[in-house]
Amino acid sequence: MNMQLSRRAFLGRTGAGIAGTALGALGFGEVESAYAQAVRPFKLARTTETRNTCTYCSVACGIIMYSMGDGSKNAKSAVIHIEGDPDHPVNRGTLCPKGAALLDYVHSETRLKYPMYRKPGSDKFERVTWDFALDRIAQLMKADRDANFIEKNNDGQTVNRWTTTGFLAASATTNETAFATYKVVRSAGMVVFDNQARV
Amino acid sequence: MAKGGNPLHDSVPIGEEAKPPFAILPDPASLFAARAARFRALADGHELGPYLLFLAGIADIQNALIGGLPAVAPPTADALARAASFGMPPLDRNAFVFDETYKATFAKLLAAAGKLDMPQAAREALDRLAAADDARREELARSMLADSAEVEFLADHIFVAAALQVHLARMAATLDADKLVEIGPGACPSCGGPPVSSMVVGWQGSHGSRFCVCAHCATKWNYVRIKCTLCGETKGIEYHEVDGSGGAVKAETCASCGGYVKAMQQIKHPDVDPVADDVASLALDILMREEGRRRGAVNPFLFGY
Repeated sequence: MNMQLSRRAFLGRTGAGIAGTALGALGFGEVESAYAQAVRPFKLARTTETRNTCTYCSVACGIIMYSMGDGSKNAKSAVIHIEGDPDHPVNRGTLCPKGAALLDYVHSETRLKYPMYRKPGSDKFERVTWDFALDRIAQLMKADRDANFIEKNNDGQTVNRWTTTGFLAASATTNETAFATYKVVRSAGMVVFDNQARV
Repeated sequence: MAKGGNPLHDSVPIGEEAKPPFAILPDPASLFAARAARFRALADGHELGPYLLFLAGIADIQNALIGGLPAVAPPTADALARAASFGMPPLDRNAFVFDETYKATFAKLLAAAGKLDMPQAAREALDRLAAADDARREELARSMLADSAEVEFLADHIFVAAALQVHLARMAATLDADKLVEIGPGACPSCGGPPVSSMVVGWQGSHGSRFCVCAHCATKWNYVRIKCTLCGETKGIEYHEVDGSGGAVKAETCASCGGYVKAMQQIKHPDVDPVADDVASLALDILMREEGRRRGAVNPFLFGY
């Protein structure tokens, strides 16, 4: 909602210190020109503030993550600060001690950034592809399910339970994701399941 | 012993909960005094010092007017009820009444401004206004209230704007803050006016919340952060500040409408004033203009940016 100045577009291009600005009109044009010259060497710094959900628990507090740097330029982007989101109805700007330390979690050297695999008999983790990790998990789950699936209980009733593998889902999921997760996990017969949807 | 019935939850104090009121009405008795003090503090060592001191003088005059003026006529009960039923702001700027109170406000402001130190151009504008009849004075007031100004008489408009700031702040102060409702993005719940800037505040009970400040009546209204104050878009919001400026004033830039409005970080710099710091951070506007960004805020003291 700009102020509508008649002939503004025309005057706006003739530079500072003209009658097209408040300072010029009031006779402060020289001050304005000098100021405009003085600020020329300065640069703009760009930051972003991004809403997200705390990664830790099922309370799912809203957080605001501050980051610096311009993704489109050569400057390196980095998260510089995290605080509770005051507009979020769950936590209204507050965070628990774990949430308040999220910045260190983001920058932690030991943070898991990609799938890691420790081979049987090996003493160290090595980086693997998502395809490898997912295939491996699926194979192991299938093997475990084939070996330990309980189709009927002692009374001969059909129960279709798979009790030897558990599933832990994330806190920041939407209702829809939680619904899909539930359907997948339960239809496999898994009973040890925490969707973090319990609060 | 625990009582029966619904479980009671003890709230664990893990920080300041933000439960901001929707709207905060201006307090004319302190509004302009604080602004004058802030203009003076900012003027110290500032390249725009002479202009900031001039505006400090204007704010002093605005402050001195409060108390010595006839009472403002608040909107009638009918007007309030009609505004409420249509979701409109209770102060209708289009229905501005050029009454004795406003005439007295303007006349006293002109008389007091005559004693200020000012450049010749400003002095000429003041003389023009002193010679203007009521019809011209009303015309100027109406065009200011409609957010438009004649470029040939910008200086005249600035004095009119100063008088209207006093008048509308006094009008807004008569309203009931609890009855104000959200009008829309970029619209003051008291008078429908545009924001001059917004402030992320550190007040008790509103810690970290953001309030937009009306350019006309100085009503503050709670507004979700990281959301364009002009068009209400939440995607593509960025913050620009002058590198090394300390981050007290950031331009909240919207990729959707291409505009920006400054967000003052009152939470970090408790003295910031939504109007004074807007003027003093003109460097940001100059740099933003070079990037082709559009200033969306309205501040008569920065006409033309």
